[in-house]
Amino acid sequence: MLHSTRFKLVISFLIVSFLVGGVSLFIGGHLLYNSVIREATSQVGLALNAADDVYRTHMRFIKLALDITTLGQGFRTAFADRNVADLSERLGRLALHAELDFAGIVLSDGKTICRLTSGQAAEYHLKAENPITRHVLENRLPVAGTAVLSQTFMILENPELAGRLQFSPLPSGDGEELPVGEKKACLAIAAGIPLYATQNGGELLGVLYGGVVLNQRTNIVDLVQKSFFWDEIQAKAKLPTATIFFDTIRIATNMMDETGNRAIGTTVGDDVRQQVLIRGKQWTTRQYYLTERYIAAYSPIEDIDGRRIGMLSIAVSESNYSAIQHKFIFYFIVATAMGGLIAIGMGSFLAYRILGPIHRLIRASREVSEGNVSPDIGPISKDMEIAVLQRTFTEMVHSMKRRRMESRSQIIHSEKQATVGRLAAGVGHEINNPLTGVLTYTHMLLRRKDLPADIRTDLQVIAESTERVRKIVKGLLDFSRQTRLDPEESDINRVTEATIKLMENQALLKGVNIEFNPGQDLPLLVLDRSQIQSVLLNVLINALDATKPSDKITINTAAALSASDTGHRGVEITITDTGCGISPDHMNKLFDPFFSTKEVGKGTGLGLSVSYGIVKEHGGNIRVQSEVGRGSTFFIWLPIEKQVEEHENHGG
Amino acid sequence: MKIMVVDDEGIVLESCRRVLEPEGFEVVMAKSATEALDSFETERPSLFLVDIKMPVHDGLYLMRALTDRKWNIPVILMSGLNTEDTIAEALKMGACRFLAKPFTPDELLESVRQVIQKEVSHE
Repeated sequence: MLHSTRFKLVISFLIVSFLVGGVSLFIGGHLLYNSVIREATSQVGLALNAADDVYRTHMRFIKLALDITTLGQGFRTAFADRNVADLSERLGRLALHAELDFAGIVLSDGKTICRLTSGQAAEYHLKAENPITRHVLENRLPVAGTAVLSQTFMILENPELAGRLQFSPLPSGDGEELPVGEKKACLAIAAGIPLYATQNGGELLGVLYGGVVLNQRTNIVDLVQKSFFWDEIQAKAKLPTATIFFDTIRIATNMMDETGNRAIGTTVGDDVRQQVLIRGKQWTTRQYYLTERYIAAYSPIEDIDGRRIGMLSIAVSESNYSAIQHKFIFYFIVATAMGGLIAIGMGSFLAYRILGPIHRLIRASREVSEGNVSPDIGPISKDMEIAVLQRTFTEMVHSMKRRRMESRSQIIHSEKQATVGRLAAGVGHEINNPLTGVLTYTHMLLRRKDLPADIRTDLQVIAESTERVRKIVKGLLDFSRQTRLDPEESDINRVTEATIKLMENQALLKGVNIEFNPGQDLPLLVLDRSQIQSVLLNVLINALDATKPSDKITINTAAALSASDTGHRGVEITITDTGCGISPDHMNKLFDPFFSTKEVGKGTGLGLSVSYGIVKEHGGNIRVQSEVGRGSTFFIWLPIEKQVEEHENHGG
Repeated sequence: MKIMVVDDEGIVLESCRRVLEPEGFEVVMAKSATEALDSFETERPSLFLVDIKMPVHDGLYLMRALTDRKWNIPVILMSGLNTEDTIAEALKMGACRFLAKPFTPDELLESVRQVIQKEVSHE
């Protein structure tokens, strides 16, 4: 089973298909993954830019809102009059519409005259730096940006909010010292507008400021998520997340922690801090958060004084993309498995196509070896090589069959010849003893002088008849022994030509055409010319007898190797006639002594038998092929030198 | 003159006797090679007439036996298998003459006389 060609073929197909499948899967999967990751990375980068835009838009919006407020005539009047109640009311409206967490007015001497919420209780003993108004007063220009606000500041500005806020511990270590001087702070986007004495300039009287706290504020990050990852929401895929960092602490995010809450207060690794906060680069990386791999992009956030105090980040779970990869791998495995099935199918089919006829040939060979010379090899295959194999096999069997029949008839014949010889010798010997008696007594009687004339006549008949019997027995014994040859070097073409000359007149009379094609450069043969001539004559006479007018006899001579045995070099004379052919029944008896198909008195039946003996004596062989109605061909092959040992009849 | 005829066939022995005796020859008959060798000492023939093919020991055996015993007596070999091969073989074995069976009385007498003449001229 394991060594069968069918199995090997199927296995080879399978190996090829799995190898191709595996390699494509590996390379394809790898390429696909890389390109997906590249694509994802660039997408995350784009998303980060968008998030940045959203962030800045928010900033501009706050500045715009403050700006518009300062332009109002009522505000200007109230400020000019230092009408705190009116200003407070206006700030309240502004904060409501612009959704500000804090807002206030600071005079140029640094005194806060008005706040959104007047946390009276704390106000008297707390003092906190306002980085926004400081910036405006120093630069005398409007400002909008990110600011780090201390916990104290927030308690003053909005105690209610400050109570809810998770303040972050201020970062220490490398990086610039944060300008708060306190332990805890929050991040905000804020704006400040300078308030001048007149509309066109003049003395700087104070600053209007306001802003929103970013800590725990979800609207910016959620807006980024919802607006930029609409596709993912629709596909119900794992949503990419947006995060705002204060230093390395997540203060606003829609990334969830293991309990399903927003992962506020968690931190990112030092590598991010190094790349983004210290070097100030926009940076994309792949990292683990909880159990998942993310592609995350970070860009630094600078505060109004140009210090990098936070980061904006977008993170996409790789599982979104690995799903694509898994799908790809799944399809690929399915395709490979189908390829495998097809390979098995094709392998089996091919094996069946190729091996079917081969199995039949094997069976046929076995049959041939068991003696069936007409085995069934099935229909000739459409595959060229197989068809050639089948045809060659058939030819081989045919020629084997032919050879076998030839050699069998030769063997049978020589056996018969030997039997006849032995029989003739035995019979002759046995008959000769009593014949001695008959001859002796007859002659003794004939010597007597007193015999009556009629008895003498009768005795003479007995003597003569006995004499005839003696001659017949002598003939029989002569036939049983091998004739002696008188060999000499001869040109077979000349011998043949001479023989044909003897027959030409008879052929002419019958209207049969004799054609002779002598072979060129034939070797000289050592043979008994008159005997070989009688052989050729015998065959020619038979051919002429088998033909009718307008038939043709063709004689060829050619150098040829022995057809029967060892392949000795020699010359073959072929005598072909287009006559009546020899019936298969007669083929085996053809060379038997006394066998004749001719009318009684026309043939002796010894011609071919004697011819056979002569050719054998020369170490050659004689064969016949014949087809009834189409003619016969006699092949007479003679060796250059006699090969077969003359075999003699010894004995007494 | 004494001639010993050796043949397993009675008719051949009798035929020879009937031909030779009237011509003045003394004929001793033996039915096998063994018998011929046994009676040789007592009979002391001048000529052997021996058939080649006999059961047990053939004519050639007898000839070899005679040669071995240095009994230098002429032998005429006879055989029904009278082919040229056999004749050649017989003469090669040292027979003076080969006589093909069947023979006529004249042929037998002719052969015997020629051998005797040759022997005489030799001596």
